[in-house]
Amino acid sequence: MEAHLTIAIYFIYVCLVLIGIGIALLFFMKIRHIRIQRKKEFYLQKHQDYFKFIQLHLNGVSALPLPPGSLTKLERRVIQEKSIEWIEQLKGDLREKLITLCQDAGFVQDDIKLLDSLFYGRRIAAAYRLGGMRSAEAVPRLLSMMEQEKYSALTIVLARAISKSAERGDQLKEMLHHLLRHGKPIHNMAADIIMETRLDASRILVKLLEDENSDFVKVALAAMWGQAIPEVVPALDRLVVAEEKDVRAEAVKLYLSSNPVLKDETIRDLMSDSDWEVRATVAKSLGTMHAAGSIPLLRTALQDANWWVRNNSAESLALLGETGFEVLCQIAKHGSGVEREIALYHIERTMLQDGDHQKLDQMVAYNKKKLLYERYFGVSESTKVRQVAAVGGDYTA
Amino acid sequence: MVPNTALQSEKEQYSTYLDIEQSVSGTAFETNGIVFISCAGGPSYMEKQVRGILESQPGLSFEIWNGQENGDMFILLPGQSLDAVHFQGLLLKQRLGEIVTVFVPSMTLAGFSQREEITQQVLKQMEESVKQNPTGDIHIFSKEEMRSVRSRVLIVEGDATVREFLQIRLRMQGYETIVADNGLTALELIGKWEPDLVLTELNLYGIDGLPYIHHIQQLNVSVVPKIVVLTEQRVEQTISLCFQNGVDDYITKPFSPVELDARIRRCIQ
Amino acid sequence: MTVNIIYFSIMAFSFRNIMTIFRRAAFSKFNTLSGSELVPSISLLVPAYNEELTVIENVKCLMTLNYPTYEVIVINDGSSDDTLEVLRNEFGLEPLPNPEMRNSIDCQPVNAVYYNPQYPHLYVIDKPNGGKADSLNAGINLSHYPLISSIDADSLLEKDALIRMARMYMENPEETVAIGGDVRIANGCHIENGAVKEVSLPRKMWPMFQAVEYLKAFLGGRIGWSSINGLIIVSGAFGLFRKDYVIAVGGYRGGYPGEDMNIIIKLHRYMLENKLKYRIAFCPEAVCWTQAPDSYRILSNQRKRWGRGNLKNMIENYDMAFKPKYKVMGLLTMPYNIIFEALNPYFKITGLLALIGYTVIDMTHWRILLVFGLVNILSGYLLSIGALLLEELAFKRFNKVSDLARMMLYSALKFFGYAQLGGLWRIQGHIQYLRNNNSWGTMTRQSWKSDNGNTKSA
Repeated sequence: MEAHLTIAIYFIYVCLVLIGIGIALLFFMKIRHIRIQRKKEFYLQKHQDYFKFIQLHLNGVSALPLPPGSLTKLERRVIQEKSIEWIEQLKGDLREKLITLCQDAGFVQDDIKLLDSLFYGRRIAAAYRLGGMRSAEAVPRLLSMMEQEKYSALTIVLARAISKSAERGDQLKEMLHHLLRHGKPIHNMAADIIMETRLDASRILVKLLEDENSDFVKVALAAMWGQAIPEVVPALDRLVVAEEKDVRAEAVKLYLSSNPVLKDETIRDLMSDSDWEVRATVAKSLGTMHAAGSIPLLRTALQDANWWVRNNSAESLALLGETGFEVLCQIAKHGSGVEREIALYHIERTMLQDGDHQKLDQMVAYNKKKLLYERYFGVSESTKVRQVAAVGGDYTA
Repeated sequence: MVPNTALQSEKEQYSTYLDIEQSVSGTAFETNGIVFISCAGGPSYMEKQVRGILESQPGLSFEIWNGQENGDMFILLPGQSLDAVHFQGLLLKQRLGEIVTVFVPSMTLAGFSQREEITQQVLKQMEESVKQNPTGDIHIFSKEEMRSVRSRVLIVEGDATVREFLQIRLRMQGYETIVADNGLTALELIGKWEPDLVLTELNLYGIDGLPYIHHIQQLNVSVVPKIVVLTEQRVEQTISLCFQNGVDDYITKPFSPVELDARIRRCIQ
Repeated sequence: MTVNIIYFSIMAFSFRNIMTIFRRAAFSKFNTLSGSELVPSISLLVPAYNEELTVIENVKCLMTLNYPTYEVIVINDGSSDDTLEVLRNEFGLEPLPNPEMRNSIDCQPVNAVYYNPQYPHLYVIDKPNGGKADSLNAGINLSHYPLISSIDADSLLEKDALIRMARMYMENPEETVAIGGDVRIANGCHIENGAVKEVSLPRKMWPMFQAVEYLKAFLGGRIGWSSINGLIIVSGAFGLFRKDYVIAVGGYRGGYPGEDMNIIIKLHRYMLENKLKYRIAFCPEAVCWTQAPDSYRILSNQRKRWGRGNLKNMIENYDMAFKPKYKVMGLLTMPYNIIFEALNPYFKITGLLALIGYTVIDMTHWRILLVFGLVNILSGYLLSIGALLLEELAFKRFNKVSDLARMMLYSALKFFGYAQLGGLWRIQGHIQYLRNNNSWGTMTRQSWKSDNGNTKSA
């Protein structure tokens, strides 16, 4: 018992000491933080005129100077942070001028020196700022840092810094290699990172699409969303029939979004693809393509095992004029199970959506559909709210 | 019926303006800068200090006139464009601040690309712009300020840095601007101030982007303002919904300010 | 003693991770992600039961998040007040004819789904009362996106909270099955336009105790647990889940409180039994502000409910404990939760009684009592200080020295009364469970509009 008691008493002492240290540390950190915060605010106020000067003369021809007078370390940091904020928001010549300012003011040099710091925290902070300043000079160093990193959230910080700063396409490729070597399927993230580049993105994407590394291809496909790049269409043509499922699905989606002319045969093949994403995408695009022969295909697809395929098919049918709409009505009336569900939903949606039609042709189209609707379901205008019973399981969406 | 003394000073003043105007027409440069400093109420040695600071910079030529009130100064910087003049202004303010800590002079400055632009009337307006609104900040005087009818732009943006940037930039372009940092204030201001154009972020506090655009169009104002969206949102569906809801232009961040200027101009005309 | 060792090692894990967390929060900007099509779309599920006072404010707040594509699904769980009507009036919602419910999970049939094309991302489900879990299941059945996030109707999300979580998800999309957010107490904060503008501590006693308690649990505990992938709960107030796995484990379990812990245990079990690599992560930089109960009655009800749910979950899943098959979950998390969380109050009471009895018999041993009391209190206090340090290192959300001092004070006061009450409530919860009393208890809400959130008493 005595021995236990002695241990317990020692434990109490240790606790007391640790608590004391903890409290002291807490107050120290809090007060220091508040002090720095106040000083930063003061400097921001002090240099308000200078910041206005910079923003007014970004257009000018001459290089931007630092404010007159000597600057403290913290003052320089405040100015640097403000510049980085502008760099992040702007593009074009004005951004280049700010980048030059950071270069001339020595901010870049300071941070490159910090990359050698013993403290990991300082190194990563410096890397982040160098990315903010788009420092091409720092890229080789950053790449080697990334090579040594284990995968964590901070790998992405480094990757972004490199992507922002890189001046050559191969640097971007090397960055991607380091980012993806951990085997995580982070293609969307990588695509977002790669699109931060200052270089001509379309050329890089074309190169990535032609790469034999399928990860690079996936990144490029993801990155191309929302970018209309005509140069990539030939590469897409090849990828539409790619072996790998994900690649094929993405490629088909992109390919269809460029509104190509498809042969009936191709459509049929795609609609019976083993991957539901492909089928769903094709079903969706059929609604706007007005290809003959798509209606029977969509009709069959209403029974697809996947919800998205069914949903997109019904949506497309509703878009395909009276004939398409009538198919929906027929199924809603005479069909059963899942296909009836989806058809009903889209019929009601169409009737609701087309309610306010401003243009004449829209009104004509709507009235035709309405006529069909009434023929199948009667004139009752009071919307029936159907109850959905929880029966059956549908695990596809 | 002007009192005698006022007339007197008016005349004196007149001659200062005239002096400057004549001096300008005698310089060899087309581009000239003017700085007006008002030290009224400050220590008497200000002028000497200003002179000293300017002289200490090699290769800088300047001329100083005393203004109407004690401590007022006009400084002509021949051959200097606006950015250089502005930097001189910063320098003066900083150095003066080091010497005289108790008093902050008011300052306005302008750059002119043609000699003929520096008229007595302009000089007088520069002086008035400071006198009416004496703050510690450096005021940039622009010709646009003299125009009476200016297009009104409401800037709605949550991020303070971008907001400030846009305001400075649009003011320089000669627009009358006010700012709001959230959607609800913006809707209120549109109703009250009736701007010609709203430059707005979609992602705001207070109200969701699409209903917000919709609200603007439902407001009870004589002319619905043009809407230009400047946002980080790049999702295609949102963009097309915006255009369907009557947005006039859609620009994504990061943006090119030059392009933004052009698009705003196109919308307003 | 063991319990202290576990506490301290968990805290040590937290410290090991805190700088990474700080850095990833400080050095990641979302300006590209927050507008990008590459970010996965999320369905926010908001179960609402008698929330007419706060629901509008909350839905408005949820609709202005900094996130590219998401939808808000409010589920009115048969409220007896005007929750549905205020929603319909505010947003001009109309019933959707033939709503498309997926029926992936069993749930009570819904009455109707309300929608207004002007607010394209808002749906309101009206269904008969069936509890929170059932509401969430109904929400899942309507949801259109691959990720779901459950959010309490009395909570405010920070504008960036969702994008921060999504970023974490995107860093490892295949293995991440759930991410929990940090829950903080909003009482005392200044709220404007559905956002916390000024952070400050609650003024009243009960919320204040909870504020320090939450801080300790979330920062001191969950960061550490998540780093060894042994997280047993993702707060029901704010969590993100992969829909496919939630459906695979059969959705939320109804009938008992504690459905938030239950779903996580089920996910662990499912992933481990199917030998899938996974992680359940904690994202402390994604913050959700919640209104803490500010009176004894409501608080005790809440805690009794937690005790009840906790016990139920432990009884249902005790088979996982001490089985190497379930890895960290089986060897550490479950035993820890059963022994030190669920049964803790009993140990404490028996231990205390034994000591007191021992001392009463033999008065010379009063020192032992004192020493053990001190060990208990001091080690607990050290943990609280540790949590405050973590907060200060990474987040610095409170910016007054006086706030810091108050938190230290309350962390100490907690050991004299509040901690004991916590044990008592838990035991009462267990008794309720055994008696099969399964009522919800009252949880009165206050409108966010009042400046400090706690002017009205419940």
